[in-house]
Amino acid sequence: MYQFTDWDILRNLLLAARWTVVLSLIAFVGGSIVGLILTFIQTSGNKVAQRLIRIYVELFQGTPLLMQLFLVFFGLSLFGFDVSEWTAASFALILFSSAFLFEIWRGCIESIPKGQWEASRCLGLSYYEIMRHIILPQALRVSIPPTVGFSVQIVKGTALASIIGFVELTKAGTMLNNATFEPFKVFGMVALIYFLLCYPLSVASRKLENKLNVAR
Amino acid sequence: MSLVNIENIHKYYGDNHVLKGVDLTIAAGEVVSIIGRSGSGKSTLLRCINGLESYSEGNIILDQMEVSTDDFQVRKLSKSVGMVFQNFNLFPHLTVGQNIELAPKLVRKTSAQDAEATSKEVLEKVGLGDKYNSYPSELSGGQQQRVAIARSLAMKPKVLLCDEITSALDPELVGDVLKVLEQLASEGMTLVLVTHEMNFARDVGDRVVFMHQGKVWETGDAKEVFANPKTPELQSFINAVL
Repeated sequence: MYQFTDWDILRNLLLAARWTVVLSLIAFVGGSIVGLILTFIQTSGNKVAQRLIRIYVELFQGTPLLMQLFLVFFGLSLFGFDVSEWTAASFALILFSSAFLFEIWRGCIESIPKGQWEASRCLGLSYYEIMRHIILPQALRVSIPPTVGFSVQIVKGTALASIIGFVELTKAGTMLNNATFEPFKVFGMVALIYFLLCYPLSVASRKLENKLNVAR
Repeated sequence: MSLVNIENIHKYYGDNHVLKGVDLTIAAGEVVSIIGRSGSGKSTLLRCINGLESYSEGNIILDQMEVSTDDFQVRKLSKSVGMVFQNFNLFPHLTVGQNIELAPKLVRKTSAQDAEATSKEVLEKVGLGDKYNSYPSELSGGQQQRVAIARSLAMKPKVLLCDEITSALDPELVGDVLKVLEQLASEGMTLVLVTHEMNFARDVGDRVVFMHQGKVWETGDAKEVFANPKTPELQSFINAVL
């Protein structure tokens, strides 16, 4: 029987970690795009659209990510769509992160004092101009720390994709464990790699928070 | 022809009847101080004049334009009426110069060059010529308020509305702001002030409007009103604040 050396384990885990990173990036970029669209619709003030967005957000915040993955993976195939693990994982994670990013950004926009709107309006600025020149630049500043902070949640969230058969870091860990029967060593390494991915993000989030807190 | 004509306006916040039929006419060049206890509707009245608040009855004509909260109308009005707030409401992410030049560029379509020239001119007028590149957070409250005044002036309004603009300032900074107002008044700017600065209202103001329970309770020449208040409500108010 083939003997796995420590290096073999680590090497295979690192190779699988690539897909964790790629999936995280897809989820983050895709989630940002959808989240941004939702944010713009929300601030435009259409009541019906706002209600629909609220339902969307509550749905994705109020159910476990795992169920969302299952529903996309198994649910879509019920309707005759043959979805790969890639598609299902990307799709579910994008929807999931868009709901949370939307909540973060909505909060940031609402945190800008009402006086900023009033002053801009008195100066004759249109809704679009107020958003573009006054509200968004300030909201953006406030939003960077929590957004980076949430990216840590996304990285860890990708671990759930292992359950539908997506071979990323966690799935690779499970497979290696089945082959080596050394759970402590294997999962210790898995945890370490996750930590190395997430820690810089947490530090960045905290640093940005300190830096951006100093109002100009 | 009066610059501002307010006719029988009513305003409700839910069931709360805040303005109960206010009539007021303001001529060009006049300095009008609106005084009264808190909750008497004076700030609400001021905010109705430039379309920041809606009113449910009556009408307001400003510089021959109907005042409403409609976005298009508010933008049109902004060329005739400026407003300065208690909390300055400067844009913290922009420099003083950018704060002042933004609206002229966007709304009046002034060229960058002209906007900069105007901006420096109004800054000079409020005594802050050297703060062009500063950020609001680097300035004292009094300086911030003067920048806010300069920002309004850059739009070349015919009327300037001031909503308790010295109330958030440390006492020693109030004087600088009032000096700017006094200078504006002497240059013929129409000013409508909601204020607690009774001395200023008496000495610089032309007319005083005393609001009580959502109505114009008493109005008249500034010095006369303070010397001989007619209604008991104004008498007790003046006794309480002076």
